[in-house]
Amino acid sequence: MSLSTVDAAATAVPPEEPAVKGIEGRTPLQLVVQRLRTDRVAIISVVVIVLIIALAIGAPLIAAITGHGPTDTNVDNGTDANGQPLPPGSAGYLLGTDNLGRDILVRIAYGARVSLIVGVVATAIATIVGVVVGLFAGYYGGWLDSILARIMDVVLSFPYVLFAIVLVSVFGSSLPLTILVIAFFSFAAIGRIVRGQALSQREKEYVEAAHSLGAGNMRIMFVDILPNLVAPVIVLATLLIPTAIIFEATLSFLGLGIALPTPSWGNMLSDAEGVGFQAWWFYIFPMIFLLLTTLAFNLLGDAVRDALDPRTERIFAARRKKKPA
Amino acid sequence: MTLGSVLARGMGRSPRGLTKRIGFVGVAAVAVVACGSTSSSPTASGSGPADLFNPTNFNTSTVSWLSANQNASGTPVMGGTLKIEGSTDLSAAADPQAEYETIAFGLERTYTRQLVSYAASSDFNKAVTLVPDAAAMPNVSSDSLTYTFKLNSGLMWNTVPPRPVTSEDFARGILRNCDPTLAPNGNPAYYSSTIAGFKAWCTAFEGQDPSESPAARAATINAGMTSVSGIKTPDANTIVFTLTQPATDFTSILALPFASAAPVEYLKYTPLAPGNTIYSDGPYAITTYNVGHEIVLTRNAAWTPASDTIRHQYVNEIDVKLDLAGSAAATEVQQDMAAGTADLSWNTDVPPADVQGLETPSWNAGLGTFPAPGTTNPYLVFNVQSPNNSGALGNVKVRQALEYAVDKVALGKIYGGASLNQPLNQVIGPGAEGYVQFNDYPTKNNQGDPGKCKSLLAAAGFPNGITLKDYYRNSGNHPAVFQEIQSDFQKCGVTVVGTPIATGYYGSSGIGVTSPDGLKAGHWDITEPGWVPDWFGPTNGRATLPDIFGAANFPGSNWGGFNDPAVEALITQAESATSISAAASLWHQADQQVMKDAPFVPFQTQLTPLFHSTKVHNAIYQPFSEGYDYTQIWLSS
Repeated sequence: MSLSTVDAAATAVPPEEPAVKGIEGRTPLQLVVQRLRTDRVAIISVVVIVLIIALAIGAPLIAAITGHGPTDTNVDNGTDANGQPLPPGSAGYLLGTDNLGRDILVRIAYGARVSLIVGVVATAIATIVGVVVGLFAGYYGGWLDSILARIMDVVLSFPYVLFAIVLVSVFGSSLPLTILVIAFFSFAAIGRIVRGQALSQREKEYVEAAHSLGAGNMRIMFVDILPNLVAPVIVLATLLIPTAIIFEATLSFLGLGIALPTPSWGNMLSDAEGVGFQAWWFYIFPMIFLLLTTLAFNLLGDAVRDALDPRTERIFAARRKKKPA
Repeated sequence: MTLGSVLARGMGRSPRGLTKRIGFVGVAAVAVVACGSTSSSPTASGSGPADLFNPTNFNTSTVSWLSANQNASGTPVMGGTLKIEGSTDLSAAADPQAEYETIAFGLERTYTRQLVSYAASSDFNKAVTLVPDAAAMPNVSSDSLTYTFKLNSGLMWNTVPPRPVTSEDFARGILRNCDPTLAPNGNPAYYSSTIAGFKAWCTAFEGQDPSESPAARAATINAGMTSVSGIKTPDANTIVFTLTQPATDFTSILALPFASAAPVEYLKYTPLAPGNTIYSDGPYAITTYNVGHEIVLTRNAAWTPASDTIRHQYVNEIDVKLDLAGSAAATEVQQDMAAGTADLSWNTDVPPADVQGLETPSWNAGLGTFPAPGTTNPYLVFNVQSPNNSGALGNVKVRQALEYAVDKVALGKIYGGASLNQPLNQVIGPGAEGYVQFNDYPTKNNQGDPGKCKSLLAAAGFPNGITLKDYYRNSGNHPAVFQEIQSDFQKCGVTVVGTPIATGYYGSSGIGVTSPDGLKAGHWDITEPGWVPDWFGPTNGRATLPDIFGAANFPGSNWGGFNDPAVEALITQAESATSISAAASLWHQADQQVMKDAPFVPFQTQLTPLFHSTKVHNAIYQPFSEGYDYTQIWLSS
């Protein structure tokens, strides 16, 4: 550095103290998003979920490119002379074939559709039903609470596989039935949480104030109380999605879920059961996708829970400070 | 077979046809056998390759791996425990008149005797040829209606004290088949359709209250010993059967375990009750039966080698472990046999991946792939009485069109490929009585012809196709078979909608009906059962075609309700033919007529892959039980 430069710097007008930046107002959503953006695990989970969604949406495209439909059996050319599946990399089959010569990649892509549809729709139904039942039980209390709470207890303690067997034997296995079974056995988990929260919230002053202003019960429940329950409901719903996906895979593995030949990761694993360990691709790939998807949703759920929890602010603040360094 | 007996007993046949055999070959996949294939595979040698699917020439000189698999060299070692492992129990408490599965037939060989039976032989022809067992070969009258058996000396029950086996014990055994408490096990129809005076007596007995006291049932059986005109026991060593009409297969029927001798003690208790003592006149006796877990047989001290020319008593003990976990059982058994902690499999097959490893780079001596001629497993049967699609399946032209839809090579691959499966285009398979190869519905390489199917379907009045309901079993290879059929039929414009049925309920509350009108409800249009003949050899016609397409077996194992008077007439003539050649010719004609009617689509005939540990010597395949003969095995020390 030259002297002149130093002089110039020394003679320069000293800068004013930076003005204190005004405190920025942020909505809870902005806070959550900001926190999630600092959470690498959450970001990776979102990326994985987006990729799985893209795979599901692009399933027909993959089928068109490979020329293999998801249910088109091709035993003559898609298996070896002894009827064993072809390994990954065999002509035209990136992830290999299954016991009927079908393209594992195409079936996994279509299986992703089933998993996501079941996971999201069943969770949505379970969440809506759980919130409504929990709100009514918690807000009204008394005999209604007793009945609804006991119903939820029964649902939570019910052997769902046996129930599914009975339903399937009566109605036959199908996607809507699978969704309904999963939703039925999932709503109580949300209902219980919402009920507990509603029991607590209904004693708060703002509810009393709403009452005194003449608000009706429905308005108080759904306009005043419900927004205060959004955080735990979102967290639970996010964690219910992977549970629903596993639930579907379990039912399909047992032959009680998605009807054949529609591919689902569960019935793909079931098909793989009888083929033997040497055809590892037959079960490893559906298993990996099942694992990745459920893990991503679970980790995202955990991250959302942390992001919604004001008690974790210190952790996120520390991360934000570390970030520039 | 009477309608009553079919109602009561028809389903009893199903375990053999539906459970064991299909369980055995259900996931069997890969093996290279003596069909003249690759150089790495042990193929037939000597006098030329044997066609294992039509095993007229199956012996150690034509099948190169057979001697090594039998492992008969050396001096037999006495002693040791033969360890057998599996995942299922017997179905009828080891009762010789009620057990109807190949696993049971194999075990019964050790503790029951029949008047005539099969010698253990690695030569298939000898293995299905009847030889004297408890009695000498019968003296048959010139009109072929009277069979006189003289019992050999030295046969003893393991009672306390040991007591001689008499002709009355054999008569009692046959009469016990009609005990109502045994229903729906066993198959008395074989005897009621052949022995004079048996049918009326049997029908009356079957109609008795099954809950009545053992004494009441004993009285009925004791009365039958004298009242059934076709069974006489003039002395303790002589039994005489009189038939209603000639039957070239009557001695085969007497070789079934259902015709085993039954001691008088069996009349003292209610059959099939847990804890019943099963007496033995064979080389081994059941000493422990821990239901669902284990069966232990030890040497029967009352048995003498001099009294038995077809069995041995080499090992001290036979220990059958029954309770391995279902889905992993096959792998576990295979690993245990390879490690030497088990010697034989009970009910599981060799896992496909393991078979592949056993046949390359050189054939493992423990592996064998054996024929079961006449087996049809699985096959597609039409509910010809279904009202669905305006009764389309009642139209023979529709059924004939659908004969062209199926890719039989693909179906064979589901069961392990061409080395274990051969496409079949008729009822009677190679090696079975009446087999003459023909194909009324040929397609290129047996891979189906959707175009022809479609055009014939249109010509039959269904240009837009039809929709069929398929009941399929939800385990083993059956879901794959369903999907392949669905795919094949789709190419023909036929939509197949599947309903999975738990395997245990498949034959009973699944496809089975209990009334003649049961199929008219149209719960299912097509389904894929399987069939294993009750015996093999040159006189097994009665155990194949009539069982699955005879009107007498509906309701029952004639699942689809097929009934053609022309076929019935041929069955009647064949069953009463006086010569084996005449019977064979008539069975072939019946086969042709059935295929014209197209009540089913045959898929394939198969081989059974078996394995044994290196300790096992003298492993001889017994077609009758589709397993190794336990009474021939000795173990290296």
